[in-house]
Amino acid sequence: MILSVRDLKVSFRTHDGPVRAIDGVSFDLEESEILGVVGESGSGKTVSLLAVMGLITDPNATIEGSIRYKGRELVGLPTRELRRLRGNEIAMIFQDPMTALTPVYTIGWQIAEQIRAHRGLSKSKAMERVEQLLAEVNFPNPHEAMSRYPHQLSGGMRQRAVIAMALSCDPALLVADEPTTALDVTVQAGILDLVRKLRAKHKSAVVFITHDMGVVSELADRVMVMYAGRVVERGTRTELFSDPRHPYTRALLGSIPPLTGQKPRRLPAIPGSPPSLLRLPQGCPFGPRCPVRYEPCDAGKPGLGASAHAAACFRVAQA
Amino acid sequence: MTDTGRPILETRSLAKRFSIGTRFSAEGRRTVHAVDNVSLTVRRGETVGLVGESGCGKSTLARCLVRLYDITDGKLLFEGDDITAKSLSELRPLRRRLQMVFQDPSASLNPRRRVGDLVAEPLRIHGKVSAKEMAARVAELFELVGLLPDHMMRYPHEFSGGQRQRVGIARAIALNPDLVVLDEPVSALDVSVQAQIVNLLADLQEKLKLTYVFIAHDLSVVRQVSTRIAVMYLGSIVEEGPAEEVFATPAHPYSQALISAVPIVETTPAGARKRIILTGDVPSPLKPPSGCRFHPRCPIAADRCRSERPELKEYRPDRKVACHFPTLT
Repeated sequence: MILSVRDLKVSFRTHDGPVRAIDGVSFDLEESEILGVVGESGSGKTVSLLAVMGLITDPNATIEGSIRYKGRELVGLPTRELRRLRGNEIAMIFQDPMTALTPVYTIGWQIAEQIRAHRGLSKSKAMERVEQLLAEVNFPNPHEAMSRYPHQLSGGMRQRAVIAMALSCDPALLVADEPTTALDVTVQAGILDLVRKLRAKHKSAVVFITHDMGVVSELADRVMVMYAGRVVERGTRTELFSDPRHPYTRALLGSIPPLTGQKPRRLPAIPGSPPSLLRLPQGCPFGPRCPVRYEPCDAGKPGLGASAHAAACFRVAQA
Repeated sequence: MTDTGRPILETRSLAKRFSIGTRFSAEGRRTVHAVDNVSLTVRRGETVGLVGESGCGKSTLARCLVRLYDITDGKLLFEGDDITAKSLSELRPLRRRLQMVFQDPSASLNPRRRVGDLVAEPLRIHGKVSAKEMAARVAELFELVGLLPDHMMRYPHEFSGGQRQRVGIARAIALNPDLVVLDEPVSALDVSVQAQIVNLLADLQEKLKLTYVFIAHDLSVVRQVSTRIAVMYLGSIVEEGPAEEVFATPAHPYSQALISAVPIVETTPAGARKRIILTGDVPSPLKPPSGCRFHPRCPIAADRCRSERPELKEYRPDRKVACHFPTLT
C-alpha cells in the first residue's frame, strides 16, 4: 500500500464563515495503480491532494483525519521531514507547467537542481541523468533541450519537462492535477500515453485529477468521483463507466455530447450549478439538482459504505 | 425569415497578418500569418463550427468575421455586400446584426455595473427606445436566457460562471442579430453546466432564427451544435463538410489525428481505441513550412507535399479537403 487516506477533513476559516472544503474523504492507492479523481471546480479534488502533499500552509486551514504514506503518518509531520519526501518520493505535476518552472534558468539546470538536492549527485552526473530523462519523455533532441529556457518551449514540451522533473528521483507516488487541461487534444494524447508508459516502467502509483470523464476512462484503473468536498462514487474504471450508480455520475456521463452516432436533439443537462461550500444544503449536497431525490435526502448526508464499488446515495443503498 | 440557406457571411481568400517586432529587434520586423487564404461561406440558419489546435487562427478568423480586426487581404461579404474596408461609422448599423460572445464572461462584463444595465447597454447605444420599452425588453431577454427578473439588480460577481455566460448571451442577442460568433462560449464552464448553455444556444437559434459561427476546442461540443465543420490548421481551412460526416469519415490526415485524439468514455480496456499520435508541435506561423503546411507532422507525407501546397477542393458535393492524398470514402 503506497497511500492510505482515512476520513480526511479540511476546513478554512474565511470572512464569510468556516468552509469545509473536504468532508471525510478516504481512499487507498496500491503500487503502480492509477487513481482518477473526477470532479468540477469546488469539488475538493485539488485541496484533498494538496493536503496529501502537505502543501496546505494557510494558517486558517485545519486538517483532520489520517494520511499514511507507506504506513507513515503525514498529517502533523514537520515541514523538514515532508520536504525530504516531496520531490523525492512524492512528486506533483500541476495544470500550468510554469508554476513549477522558473523562467530564469534553463530546463536542464532546473531538473538537475532537484536531482542534486535529493540525491547528492555531482553536477555532471546530474546533467547526464537529465538528458536520459528528457529522452524518456520524448524530447526529440534532449541534449539541445537542456540548454533551453522555459519560454523557448511550447506548452506541451514544458509539461513534458515538468514530468521529467517529477520523475527525476523515481517517485513512488505521482500526483497530477489537471496536467493536460491547458493542452490541445493532440498534445494531451501524447502526454496520457507517456503517463501510461512511465507507470509501467517506474511502477509509480499515480493520482490523476481531472474534470474530463474521457481522460479518466482512458487512463485510470480506479476512479473516485467527488462533489462538494465528498466522494460520491468510487469503483474500478469498468464498474464506474459500465454501471454508474450515483445520480451525479450518471447525469455527468449523460451530459457529455457523443462523438459518434446520432446527435441528441437536446443534451440531458443537470439543472442548477455546483453548490457554494458556504451554503451547503442540509442533506445530500447533490439533492437540489438530483432527479431522484426523495424525503431521506433532505434529512441527512448519505455515506459511501464499505464495498469496493460504492455510491453515496440513499436511493442506491435502498435498491 | 424565409431565406434559410442563403449565404449571410462570406470570406474570399481572407488573410490576416500581424507585424511584430521593430526594425531594431534582433530578428527585425516579422510577419505572423495568422489567417491565410480562407474562403468560407456561412449560410443563414446554420451553425458553422471552427475547430483546430490553439494557434491555428480560429479566434483571429472569428474576430475578422465581425470586423473586430481589420482584414489584411481578401474580401468579407455580408449578405453579398462588401464590408472588408467599411469605416467604423459605416459598420455601425451592421454591428447590430453581427454579434459576438466571448469565452470568459467575467472578463467581458463590467464588474461595476448591474447586469440589468449591462444587458440594456446595446439597446441604449443602438436603439431609439423609451425607458419603458427598454425595461420591458430587458425583462424579455432575461426570460429568454433563463435568468430571473430579480437578478437584474445584481452585479456580475454575484453570479456563477454559467449565469454570467447567460448574461453575455443576453447582451449579444439584445438587438435581434442575424449572426452570432461564439468564441469558446462553454470552455470556461463546469462540465455539468456546459450542457445547459449548449441547449440554451440551440433553443435561441430555433426561436430567433440565428446563424452561428461556433468555436470550441472541445470537439464533442462542436459536433453537437454544428451543422457544418471547418477544420483549421496553421491559419487555413484543411477540411470542411457536414458535422456528422466529417466526424465519421474525416478525409484529411490532420482531421483524422485530431478526432482520434479526443478521449472518450468507453468500457473496453484502456487505450484500445486506435489513435494517431502526432509528433512535434504546430509550426510557428512566423515561418510556415513549405508546401502543405501539415507535412512535417503528417504520417503520410510524400515528396509532393513538401513542395506543392494543396488547395481546398470540393471532392464531393458539400465536402472539401486540402490534401494531395485524402482518405475518400
